[in-house]
Formats: sequence, C-alpha cells, structure tokens
Amino acid sequence: MSLAKSTFRKAWIIIIAMVFVSPILGVILAEVVGYHEPLDVAAEKLNLPDLTEDINWTPFLDYTVPYLSPEVGYIVAGLIGVGIIAGVGAVLKGFMKNS
Amino acid sequence: MHIPDGFLDPVTAGLTYLILILYGFFALRRVRKVLTPEVVSLSSVLAAGVFAAQMLNWPLPGGTSLHFVGGALAGIMLGPWLGFLTMFLVLLIQCLVFHDGGITALGANAINMAIIDVLIGYLVYQLFTSKSHPSNSNRALGASLGAWLGIVIAGAAAGLQLGYSPLFPYGFAITLPVMIGWHAVLGIIEGVITALVVLYLAQRAPTLLTKGR
Repeated sequence: MSLAKSTFRKAWIIIIAMVFVSPILGVILAEVVGYHEPLDVAAEKLNLPDLTEDINWTPFLDYTVPYLSPEVGYIVAGLIGVGIIAGVGAVLKGFMKNS
Repeated sequence: MHIPDGFLDPVTAGLTYLILILYGFFALRRVRKVLTPEVVSLSSVLAAGVFAAQMLNWPLPGGTSLHFVGGALAGIMLGPWLGFLTMFLVLLIQCLVFHDGGITALGANAINMAIIDVLIGYLVYQLFTSKSHPSNSNRALGASLGAWLGIVIAGAAAGLQLGYSPLFPYGFAITLPVMIGWHAVLGIIEGVITALVVLYLAQRAPTLLTKGR
C-alpha cells in the first residue's frame, strides 16, 4: 500500500511547527529555570576538563547561530538540522531512482 | 543522555566506535532488502521528527530538563536495523553540526540511543503485539513499556561507559544507580509520548507502523 504524499506533507508541516515552537522551551524557559546539561554540571563539579569549546568545529555550537539572538538562532539551527535530514533523504531517493 | 567530549578515555571511545562500526555494517546489509524510496521518505520524516522533538527540551525547576529521545518509536515503526540508521543519522547531525554529544563519544551515544533504545523498544513492542490484530491496549502497553525500558537500559549503558572510563572519577557503584534512577523517571514521559504516537498512527495510518520492516 502506498503512503499518501499528503501524509508526509502533513508530517513535515508538524515538524517545522515544532522547530518554530522549540525556543519557548529550549531557550526562554531554560533561562528561567537556569538550565544546564546534567552531564556538563557533573563535569564542572568533578573538575573534568570541558573540551567542548576547545575542540569545537562548528559555528552552530549548542544550536546557536552567529550574529543571531538565541531564540532566532535556535529556530534557524532547527531548520538547518531538519533541512540536512530532508536533503540526505532526497539524495538517497535520487540514487535509488537512478539505479 | 548525550555524553560530551572529555568523559570517555581512548579505550572506551575506541571500543564503542568498534561496536558502532560492526553494528552499522550489519544494519546496512539488512536494510538493503527493505529499502525503497517510500521507506526512505518515512525514515527521513521520522529522523526529522525525532530531531525536532529533541529540541523541545522541557526545562524543570532545579536546572535540568527532559526531552523525548525517540529510539523506541524508531524501533517500533522501522524495526531495529532501519530504526538504528534513522537514529544514527540524528545523532550524527547533532554531533557534527551542533556539537551536541562529543565526537569521541559518538560510538557510546550511538550504542545507547540508536542501538539499545531502538532494540529494546522494538522487542518489547513485538512481545505485546505478536497477534495478527493486536488490541489498542496491547499496543499502548508494548509501546510505553518498551520506551520506558529502552531509556532505562540505555541510561544504564551510559552509566557503565562512564563508570568504566578512568577519566570519570566515579565508578559503577555511583554512575549506574544515578543514571538508572534518573532515566527511570524520564522514561515515564518517553513511554507516554511513544504510546500516544503509536495509538495515533494505529488509528490514522496503520501502515506506518510496519512499512519499514
């Protein structure tokens, strides 16, 4: 049975909506409660070296985007991630159709 | 649950990478048989959905948070092999593009969230829905229990990896109970969300629950 294209389209719309809503939880409320990654807190308490920024290779560290506010950057980062996943899927499908 | 760089020693990191490579090789061979453009579409939608859901971090008073992991849902919808590859794609992008999870810990993070969580979720769900027409209560039970157990065992695995690593000053006696206890609580939310999604799909698009397997 073929899965209707409209089912996938609906799913992508919901995913994009989730990305646009995500800063409310991931940035704004996180600042309100003083959120830190639990394992980062453990590292700090144990005096483990925090290598994340020392060996960082990406401008989008922790879902931020240079020159953008954390809220807007979080949305743009989400769209970048979703876009890459969609791109990988599209490339794979293209290969399959050509072969 | 994403272990950052600096927590695992080279031996632990190397061993977990080796397991990841072997499992990944085997998974790739297995999915060749079921891979169609439609299955790839389903897999990429699920990967994007898990990625977006993991960005919905619910902060909790006290400075921590919980978010949906999605490994069990991937296992239930896509089976253990394609579910693994779907979750691995999410972890790879999180690590390489956003440095969420260390590059030295990618093997460990993949074992926990893309292998163990997916496999446990899949197996428990299968156990409850092996009949040709499983009831909704069996679907809900299988999905929620599978998701809860998947998270707890994945958390335990992370505790073992951290406890084994000489870089982490605490041994298994501390890391295991802490990780199991914390994830047993987080797993309740994971179980509820997974069961709701599975019940919704069973009603609206039942083929999505078996298409990738």
